[in-house]
Amino acid sequence: MALSKGKLNTPYVVNGVNTEHEGIREFLFALGCYPGEKVTIISKLASNYIINIKDARYSIDEDLANAIMV
Amino acid sequence: MKVALAGNPNCGKTTLFNAITGKIEHVGNWPGVTVEKKEGKVKQSLNPNNENLVVVDLPGAYSMSPYTSEETVTKDFIQNERPDVIINIVDSTNLSRSLFFSTQLLELGIPIVVALNKSDLAEKSGITINVPVLSEKLKCPVIRTISTKATNNGLPELIKAVIAAGKSDKKQEAPLKLSATKALSKEESEKVDKKRYTFVNSLVTEVERKKISPERQTIQDQADRIITHKWLGIPIFAAVIYLVFSISQSWVGPLLADVFVGWIDLLYEGVASLLGEEVNPVLGALLLDGIIGGVGAVIGFLPLIMVLFFCLALLEDSGYMARVAIVMDRFFKKVGLSGRSIIPMIVGTGCSIPGVMATRTIKNARQRRTTAMLTPFMPCGAKLPVIALFAGVFFGEKAWVGTSMYFLAILVIIISALIIRQITGDYSKSYFIMELPKYRVPSIKRATISMFSRAKAFIIKAGTIILVCNAVIQILQSFDWQFQVVAENAPETSILASLATPLAILFIPLGFGLWQFAAAAVTGFIAKENVVGTLAVTFAVSNFIDTEEFALVGGSAEVNAIFGISAAAGLAYLVFNLFTPPCFAAIGAMNSEMESRKWLFGALGFQLGMGYVLAFFVYQIGTLITVGTLGEGFGAGLVAVAAIIGIVVYLMRKGRRNKQASGQIQTV
Repeated sequence: MALSKGKLNTPYVVNGVNTEHEGIREFLFALGCYPGEKVTIISKLASNYIINIKDARYSIDEDLANAIMV
Repeated sequence: MKVALAGNPNCGKTTLFNAITGKIEHVGNWPGVTVEKKEGKVKQSLNPNNENLVVVDLPGAYSMSPYTSEETVTKDFIQNERPDVIINIVDSTNLSRSLFFSTQLLELGIPIVVALNKSDLAEKSGITINVPVLSEKLKCPVIRTISTKATNNGLPELIKAVIAAGKSDKKQEAPLKLSATKALSKEESEKVDKKRYTFVNSLVTEVERKKISPERQTIQDQADRIITHKWLGIPIFAAVIYLVFSISQSWVGPLLADVFVGWIDLLYEGVASLLGEEVNPVLGALLLDGIIGGVGAVIGFLPLIMVLFFCLALLEDSGYMARVAIVMDRFFKKVGLSGRSIIPMIVGTGCSIPGVMATRTIKNARQRRTTAMLTPFMPCGAKLPVIALFAGVFFGEKAWVGTSMYFLAILVIIISALIIRQITGDYSKSYFIMELPKYRVPSIKRATISMFSRAKAFIIKAGTIILVCNAVIQILQSFDWQFQVVAENAPETSILASLATPLAILFIPLGFGLWQFAAAAVTGFIAKENVVGTLAVTFAVSNFIDTEEFALVGGSAEVNAIFGISAAAGLAYLVFNLFTPPCFAAIGAMNSEMESRKWLFGALGFQLGMGYVLAFFVYQIGTLITVGTLGEGFGAGLVAVAAIIGIVVYLMRKGRRNKQASGQIQTV
């Protein structure tokens, strides 16, 4: 399922990044968000998600949360 | 010996750079502050043997395969200029991600020294790192550093290790035998990257002990939930900006300005009595009214600006600014920009030039150019004296004037972005992802340093460009075309007046059709502070700030009377100056970031039109409300405004047709 449908504070294992967009997959990889790694939703805001990858917090928008499959 | 600083965004490269070189480059607690490489020499105290050590601060990068153009700066520098040593700065609080980039750097054959930065923060959050093991596995020296601390910060040890590494002939050995530099196919490079992370992950499990799981909710997360809340986010941002303006323009700033303007007055009187009666009146006026008066009027606002920059530096340091980007992302997304665009705009509140340069972090070309075009709309430091002057003259020093100008700027930016998206017909979307820095207690010391460096730049500018401009303005208004001294009762015969009057006619529908205002608007393109200086010179008001209670000389009413325009016209003039094209230096920055003549001229035309239309509405509607009738020149102005709007609407329709022709919307 898409990460955007996930529950708060539950570690999910990344399955893939579903996008045509050049570069974003590699970028997420460099951050440590790639198949097999964990990602956790810390909070859902207006149209943004705050997620935890490795030891850092990131703010991502809904489109990206829809693209990350867990 | 050339030493490069490389590491992830917001790991503290520039802070470390400043600490070892003694420079004062702009730092902020959010990723992407540095977009260009910067050079400096290592301080003597850290370099007792006087080695020739040049340090290059590079923009942050997450990997050697760049995603944004400032990451490209880093990669290109390391690959093409081959520094002698690389200091790889690693954020101790995020070891596993940082080491991914380290493994890539270690494969280049260049000696690496790892600086485990922010080690105080790691300790506080219960992270312990086994440095000897880490060093052994990475096959390079690892030094613990705290670059925000003055002593016992690990920096002398770091420099010693760098010198040793630079002098040894040994090539850097890679802990992992993979080739990062060879061109690989997509699948291959993905495989290689995976191996890298597997190595890093096992290394981290070996050397790092954590007490707290990073996924756990913290107080910071609770705070974020309120600060970036759907409905509360904007009011909180407004309150913060209002507070900053209250402190700088209504409380602390005026107190300091009192003292300061008193000194300028003393100087004026001192020089006046020194000159005595005999001196040539034209020369006397040039020195007193042109130079001391004009420059003094600008410098008088220095304390306000210093306090404002102090507050903004505290905000930047706290980590709040990254949250503002999240709050604004929702609105910016609707008009085809993203929260990324807010960062150049926040940087632009200091000065538009670095703000425009910061647009480099935006990948999408239309978004980047639109942001470069709209960033100068944010009131920069040079526009503050103009805001403070008009807030003082017409609105009695209220903090809401400055605050509302910021929010008006944001509103104008959003509307403009919408128009530009229509004109370009480019509806592409882009993903938004930004690392959230941790909140921290802002450092008073760093804010003070930042404040003084801004103040220094302001004083230098006032003493050079603004001084020259004021002197030229004074001369041009003292003589007529026959080079005769202008009679006291006929200032309109001066060269300046005759040059500016044709322009002033265009401003009649905006309420400020006086040659003095036209001249000030033009000198404003050289530097925005000139608006204040030129008004001071042409209206012969020596200072705009009273020593008593920070009211204007002889009370606001009087200066108001000298200016001879209404409050509505004053506000219109302020709006006109804020939303016309920025100073020439900023236009130059726009030119280099946009990389397109068409965009540059389009941007300048758009900015001029925006300034004119806004000023027209402010004056005409303001006059209608306050006086009950429309202002002067309404008919002619309406024709001009209708023409401007007509052109924009035509372009928007054309853009829409192009879009329909080119088919569906893509996600880029």
